[in-house]
Amino acid sequence: MTCGGATDPGYGHACFAYDDPAALHARAVEQVTLGLAAGEQVWLVGPEEPDVVATRLGSVPGFDTALRRGDVRLLAVGQAYRHDAVVDPARQVQAYVRATAESLAAGHTGLRVLAEATDMVRTAGQRDAFARYEHRMDHWMRHHPMAATCAYDRRVLGDAAISELACLHPEGNGDVPFRLHAGSGDAVVAIRGELDASDDRLFAAALERADPQPAAGRLVVDACHLRFIDHRGLFHLRDLARRHGAVVVLRTRRPALARLVALLDLAELRVVVVR
Amino acid sequence: MRTGAAAGHVGYLHEAILYDSDDHLLAVVLPFLRDGVEAGEPTMVGLDTRTADLVRRALPAGHGVTFLPGGDLYARPTAAIRAYRELLASHVAAGATQIRIVGELPAVVFGATWDWWARYESAINHAYDDFPLWSMCAYDRRTAPPHVLADVARTHPRVAGPGGSHEPTGVYTEPASYLAECRPAPLDPVQRTAPLVELTDPTPARAREAVRAADGGLLPPDGVDDLVMAVSEVVCNALRHGTPPVRLRLWCAPDRLVVTVHDRGAGPKDPYSGLLPAGDGSDGGLGLWISHQSCDHVTYQRDTDGFTIRLTAGNPHFPV
Repeated sequence: MTCGGATDPGYGHACFAYDDPAALHARAVEQVTLGLAAGEQVWLVGPEEPDVVATRLGSVPGFDTALRRGDVRLLAVGQAYRHDAVVDPARQVQAYVRATAESLAAGHTGLRVLAEATDMVRTAGQRDAFARYEHRMDHWMRHHPMAATCAYDRRVLGDAAISELACLHPEGNGDVPFRLHAGSGDAVVAIRGELDASDDRLFAAALERADPQPAAGRLVVDACHLRFIDHRGLFHLRDLARRHGAVVVLRTRRPALARLVALLDLAELRVVVVR
Repeated sequence: MRTGAAAGHVGYLHEAILYDSDDHLLAVVLPFLRDGVEAGEPTMVGLDTRTADLVRRALPAGHGVTFLPGGDLYARPTAAIRAYRELLASHVAAGATQIRIVGELPAVVFGATWDWWARYESAINHAYDDFPLWSMCAYDRRTAPPHVLADVARTHPRVAGPGGSHEPTGVYTEPASYLAECRPAPLDPVQRTAPLVELTDPTPARAREAVRAADGGLLPPDGVDDLVMAVSEVVCNALRHGTPPVRLRLWCAPDRLVVTVHDRGAGPKDPYSGLLPAGDGSDGGLGLWISHQSCDHVTYQRDTDGFTIRLTAGNPHFPV
C-alpha cells in the first residue's frame, strides 16, 4: 500500500482564474507553444469568434501553419460544448473522449485544451452540473493523453463561485484550501490541502459532486497529502460511506488521524497509515 | 438490586475516602470490595501502584477483585470519563445491577493540572449517573494539599470512613453550579515571558501553521498533530462563538508548547464542555471535547476581559 508520490500529481488539469484578459492571452500563448512543441493537438475554446482569437495569436511562431493544418482548432463555446444552459456531464465527457481519440488517430500525441468556460457556470445550477462534469473529466485526464486548462473570469464569477470549481482541479493558480481530484491505483479520489470549518460547506459540495463510487464495498481515498482534516470533514466522509453502504478507507501518513477516527467512533471509516 | 450503603440508590453513588494511614485506607476499602464480590457485583480497583499493592496483599487468594491497569487511565480527565463510561456500559450490558470501583488519582495531578481534575470530580456526578455505580475516590490527607481537599469535599456528596460510616461532606455542590464557577489555574511560568507568536483574528489555517512552525522538533510528530488539531478547534470556536478580537499567543518551554486563545466573550455555556461530547459538533462542543483529549492540559480562565483557553502539549506539570 503506497501513498500518491509527488506533491503535484501533474497530469495537466488546471484551473486558471483571471481578472485581466491579458493574463488569459498569455496563458493561451503558453498552451499553444507547449502543445505544438509536444506534438499535441491544441483546442482553444471560448466565447469569442475564432477570427478574433486567430488575429490575436497570429504572432505566435508557427501558429498560422498549425491552424491551417488542424494542429490548432479554435472553437466558440457552443461548438465544443452543447450550448444548453446547463452542461450534460456524461455527454460532454463523451465528446472529449472522442476528441482525444481523433487527435491520436490524426497522428498527434494527445489533446490539449484551453477552455474559457465562464459562460457555462454563471448560475448556481450551471455550476453544479459543470462541477460534476469537471470531476468526470479529471478522471479521464488522469489516465489518458488529454490535458486541459479551465479558465474562469473572476470579475464575472467572484471568488466563492470560482472556489467551487477550482477545488475540483488537481492544480491551478488560485488559492484554494483543498483539492479533490481523481486518485491513482485503487484510490478512487485523492484529497490534498486542509479541511476545517471554514471550508466545510465547500468540501461537502465537492464530495457530493465528485460522488466517488465504492468497489467491492471499499471506497479508497488517498489522503496522503491532506495536511489537516477535522471532525467535520470526517463526518462528511462517514456520510459518504453510509450513502453507499461501504467502508471509506482513508490512506494517510498521519497516525493522529487514526486516533481521531477512533475517538469519534466512526465505524464506517478505516484509516490506513502509510509511511 | 443495589447492595450495601447504595441499597435503594438510583444512579451514581460517589464517595470520597480521606485517609491518613494505610490502615485507615484498608479499613474502608477491604469490606467495600469483599461485599461487592460476595454480592456478585463487578468489583474493581484503580489505585496508584503503591496503594494497589497494599490492597492486593491484604486480600485473600482468589479474591475476585479486578485490578484495572494503571498506565494512561488518569492522563486526561476526558479520556478517563470516556474509558469508564465504556467499561460501565459493558458491565450493565452483561447484566450488572451494581458496579463497585475504588480509585485514586496519582499525586502528580495535585499540582499544575488540578483544575481539570477538580472539574472531572464534579462532572462525573453527572457523567456516571446513567449507571448503577458505587465508587470511592481515595485521597491521602498527608499528601493532598488543602485546596485539593476543599475541592474534594465540594465534589463528593459523602465520605466513607472506617467502621462503615458514610457521612455527607456538607458542602457538596451540584456539578452545574460548581463547574460554572471561575476556577483559575496557576499561570504557567512561561506565560510571564514574551510570547514567541502573537496573532490577532487568525484563520484556523494560519493558527495551525504557527504551531507547526513553532514546534521545531520539540514535540514528537504525533504530539504536534494533536496540538495542531486542538488549536484549530479552539480558534474555530473563538471565531464562531466568541467576541472579537480573537488573540492567539504561543510560548515554547524546553519540555512543552503552550498556546492561549482569548476572546472578549463569556466562553462556553455548557458546564460540561470539554469533558463530555456535546451535540453534533455544530455548536463547538465536540471541538473542545477533542481538544481535551489531544492536549496534555487544558484550562479555562474567565475574567472581566473575556475568556481564555490555554492548551499545553508536552509536560504540563510545572512546579507550583
